[in-house]
Amino acid sequence: MRIKTARRIALLSILNVFFVLLCFITLIPILYAFLLSISSDSSAFGNGFLFPQSPTLKNYKAILVEEPFLIWLKNSVVLSLGTMILAMGTSVTASYAFSRFRFRGRNEMLKLLLILNAFPQILSMFAIFRLFKNMNLLNNYIGLILIYAGSMCIFSIWNMKGYFDTIPIEIEESARIDGGSSGQIIWKIVLPLARPSIIVTAVMVLIFVWNEYLFATTFLMKEENYNLAGGLYQLQANDYNRSWSLFSAAAILVSVPILILFFSIQKYMVSGLTTGGVKG
Amino acid sequence: MNKKNKILPWEYSFPSIMLIGLIVVFPIIYTIYISFTNMNLYHWTDYEFIAFDNYRRALTKLDSGFMSALLTTIIWTVLNMVIQILAAYLIALGLNAKGLKLARLYKTLLMFPWAMPAYISILLWRVGIFNPQYGLLNKIRSALGFSSMDYLSENIPAFISCMVLNLWMALPFLIMMMDGALQSVDNSYYESARLDGGGWWAQNLYITIPSIKPILAPSIIMTTFTTFKQFDIIYLLTMQKGSLTGATLQTVITYAHQNAFVSNNYGLSSAVSIVIFGFIILFSLFVNRGIREEHV
Repeated sequence: MRIKTARRIALLSILNVFFVLLCFITLIPILYAFLLSISSDSSAFGNGFLFPQSPTLKNYKAILVEEPFLIWLKNSVVLSLGTMILAMGTSVTASYAFSRFRFRGRNEMLKLLLILNAFPQILSMFAIFRLFKNMNLLNNYIGLILIYAGSMCIFSIWNMKGYFDTIPIEIEESARIDGGSSGQIIWKIVLPLARPSIIVTAVMVLIFVWNEYLFATTFLMKEENYNLAGGLYQLQANDYNRSWSLFSAAAILVSVPILILFFSIQKYMVSGLTTGGVKG
Repeated sequence: MNKKNKILPWEYSFPSIMLIGLIVVFPIIYTIYISFTNMNLYHWTDYEFIAFDNYRRALTKLDSGFMSALLTTIIWTVLNMVIQILAAYLIALGLNAKGLKLARLYKTLLMFPWAMPAYISILLWRVGIFNPQYGLLNKIRSALGFSSMDYLSENIPAFISCMVLNLWMALPFLIMMMDGALQSVDNSYYESARLDGGGWWAQNLYITIPSIKPILAPSIIMTTFTTFKQFDIIYLLTMQKGSLTGATLQTVITYAHQNAFVSNNYGLSSAVSIVIFGFIILFSLFVNRGIREEHV
């Protein structure tokens, strides 16, 4: 028995060493960006190999004061909130309908939505671009919000429908017997019950818009209406000046709110993603 | 659950159906339309219908580059998936080892790459890790006395660089899913296996893998789709506007994007897009049938 416990301890120590190393290697790019962001220019890329000799916050100050970071931030917030309102406003009622009613075309519609969801939106980006050009929606937040909301709508419908399915219909029936109208029942009973799912879905829409760069950099071409993605993209594209430590400071600033949001809804991410993605 | 009403559900879903119709369905139909024309920069409005010429060019002419992009995509998807599944499985097994007290902490730390905004991670890797002058890899190389190297300038090193980055970004999700699946396996199976003298290999092969397979199927399929249509990594690392690195890696998605937004060959790009969409539909039908049969 003693040999066995000795072996266990040895095994566990090896595992611990392995995981400490693995976590360290995993975090290197993020740590490196952080170190870059607090180093003064010379020590970042000069001789100091890993740790900056004189940590400083001046990159953060520079990004906030000298670069239009706050305008990018404002634009990103406008896009995220606008998308969230439009996507949730349209998909909550639709997911309720798909969950509660049995009507002709329901199954076909749900399947069609899944197939459409598998379509990589990059592939129709040119068609949307041409279409929006004719409709004067380029360089326009409304255009981008429409795109984001349209693509997140499918995900939201599937995600919330799954949750509505788990709310027993008897609750609604008894409310109806008590004389509630359908509007009242939805507003006062069903939506409060579905609140966890609605919040999680809304946060995921928010994260999606915050993290999207391709459509943002293609459709917002003027510098004054860049959002964070456009601004950061531009910062890292200038190779030969001090913009890299600025870029890492900006990267840290943009990531922190998302990291907080992500870890606060993390346990819902998994179920949400897989039910939304493939279940047919 | 059996409310019957013909009009009300359509009223409820009308706004979202309109939105999806405008943003998702109509552009797909429009893409199909463009794929039958010779629309390009010189024929922006006066394009003509050329029937299946674009499709013929993409699928039968080797110099169009589509077939080699398709081959790259298949190699990319298969290699990534094999490595990811193996690595995630082993890491998740380790996390579930009995007595590993810090497992929760490790799990949280390992989730970071997943939580980071993808484009930021990719740009950080480009600037901080792979850059020929300042990147961490080259700092290590020069500290060890080697000359610096541009990892993104040739196809094979660039492919490997993209793959490492993709693993870094995609592994946390699979680790998390595998971890959840492993915890759902009934412990009594292992006890009886141990009584029967089954070793580590036998336990994994005959108990763990068969019991987690059905739980994991959806997430593995989803990861396969995301790997197949991965665009951001290859685009942002090697082919940003104005700073091509020299590698000429193309997957089918970057190929479609390049033809639409760089070489302005809209007709060809649209045809390729429709072909890719066809593949995706076929693959998902095939996969869906597979899952259903396994459940019956």
